[in-house]
This record gives sequence, C-alpha cells and structure tokens, in this order.
Amino acid sequence: MVSVDTSPQAPPPRGRSGRWRPLLRGLGEALITLGLVVLLFVFYEVQVTSWFSARQQADATERLRGQWREVSPDEQAPPPVPGRGFARLHIPSLGPDFPFTVLEGTDQDTLAAGPGHYGGTALPGQRGNFALAGHRSGRMAPFGDLDRLGSCDAVVVETATDWYVYRVLPLRGEAADWDPETAPERCAGVAPIGGPYRDVFGRTIVEPERREVIDPVPGVPRGTVPEQWRSRLITLTTCHPRFSAEKRMIVHGVLTKRYPKVAERPDLRPPELGG
Amino acid sequence: MYAWIWRHLPGPVAVKAVTALVLVAVVVALLLFVIFPAVEPMLPFDDPTLE
Repeated sequence: MVSVDTSPQAPPPRGRSGRWRPLLRGLGEALITLGLVVLLFVFYEVQVTSWFSARQQADATERLRGQWREVSPDEQAPPPVPGRGFARLHIPSLGPDFPFTVLEGTDQDTLAAGPGHYGGTALPGQRGNFALAGHRSGRMAPFGDLDRLGSCDAVVVETATDWYVYRVLPLRGEAADWDPETAPERCAGVAPIGGPYRDVFGRTIVEPERREVIDPVPGVPRGTVPEQWRSRLITLTTCHPRFSAEKRMIVHGVLTKRYPKVAERPDLRPPELGG
Repeated sequence: MYAWIWRHLPGPVAVKAVTALVLVAVVVALLLFVIFPAVEPMLPFDDPTLE
C-alpha cells in the first residue's frame, strides 16, 4: 500500500507583505495591458491604415478612370485638382503592388490615399522635376521598397494622354565610371547628366529639410539654369529608415521615352510594361 | 483589476465569458478606429515629405 505523504499547506503569508499584494498585481496587470496596447498600435500602423488607404486609393482610381474615359488622348488633359488623382505610377521592378494612382498634393490626407505630387513642381514629361512623395510603411506603403530600385529601373507614368518612361539615374558609386557604350540595353538614355546635375544620383539619403532635391534642377538655386537647358526628371521621396521620420530617401530618374496614347487603341501599353 | 471585473460580470461562467469577449472587442475597436487615428499625427512616424 502506498501512502502519499502530503505536508500540510503553508498558510498564505499575512501581515505587511499581504497589503502590497493587490497593488503589485494591479500594477503588473496595467503594464501587461500597456504592452498589448502598444502591440495593437503596431498592427494599426502597419495593417489597419493600409485597409483604410486601399479603399481611398480605389476611389481615386475609379474617379480617374471615369475622367479619362471622357478625355480623348488627342486633347489637352485638364490640370490636376488638389486631392484628386491625375496620373498612374507603374514601377514594374517593384512587383504587383503597382500601379498606384498619383494624387495632387502632399498633405497627410492626400498621402493617405496614395503617392502625392508636390504642388508647383513639373507635371509628367515637362522640363524640370516631377516630384512625388509616398509612404514607406503603413497606408499601403506605395514607396515601401524604394531601396530596391537600382539604376536604369523603369518608373512609368501614365497620364490621360501619354506614357512617360523615366529611368533611375546611376547611383553614387556607379556615376564616376559610367560608360554608356557598355551599359545594358535597358540603360539607353541613362547616364550621369553632368553640368549642374553632377551631384544628382539615382538614390540618396538626405535630411528632411533638404527641400532643394525637388527643385527644377535638384540642389541648384531656382532661376540659375534656364528652362530650355533643364532635363526632365522624376523625383520620389519617402521616409528613411522604414517606420521613422528621421531622414528621407530620394530617388531621381530621367525621362527616356514618351509614347502618346492612341484614341482607337486604349489597350496599347509600352514595352517597358510588357505591352 | 481583471479579477475585479470578472467578479462583477453577471450570470454563469459562459455568459461571463461572452460578455468579457464583447468588452475586449469594444476596447480594441475604440483604440483602432478612434484613439489611434487621433494620436497618430502627434507621433514622429513615417513622414515621407520634405519640410
């Protein structure tokens, strides 16, 4: 026969330490709750904002398509209206999240719906600098993978009337010994521009107050370079590092091709997009 | 705190559990759709524009 010898249970400690117990327990529960709230905030920031943005982006796209149906490619496109979509941005090397509808303006509400165009900068295809901002994390993160863009990658902008193919400029390390002769075929039209553009590279990290990167000639005071000497650039800005507002990542590209849309053939797409 | 809430929920255990889940859902919804959107602009997160 086996007898289990159980020692008598020790009575719960009473006295001075017992009084602190409910307080400590309450504090512990409050800290755990706080931790869960912070985790929930991360989920909100990365995921929930994207759900809201997806709906706004879809609305903007819908509205833009309706507008484009009414504009023949042979006419002049109407000027962009703040907060509304006016172009489509395709970046084939960044995968299936693209294209995005680009809206006019860079205020918080506009950027929640998709990439936004800095007001007052050039329009697609114009001389100067077509400058866009987009979120790096959360809100669908349209520019989340901008760090994966390399030189010569295509950035295609579709308007009511045209397709504009920009390509990322040589990166800082490549510019010095860039040889257009030996560069891959897809790099046609891409080379360090030189002159007032000698410090303009494909991808850089800058302080947030470096607003001159979206000037018509980046980093050169306005009015120095006459309009007819300016290149046709595109500039994408987003925050860096991811989730932070400490610095900005800047990608510069140059216009290499333009395909006018054909009214009778709306299905035509540029070869850069597999058309 | 949670023990106190549990003791004050009415009904048998099953009803208490359902009520507790509903309470959690209400708090989560309040955080996601009201409180977080309100406090977020004050935090230094993800500003893609230049100043």
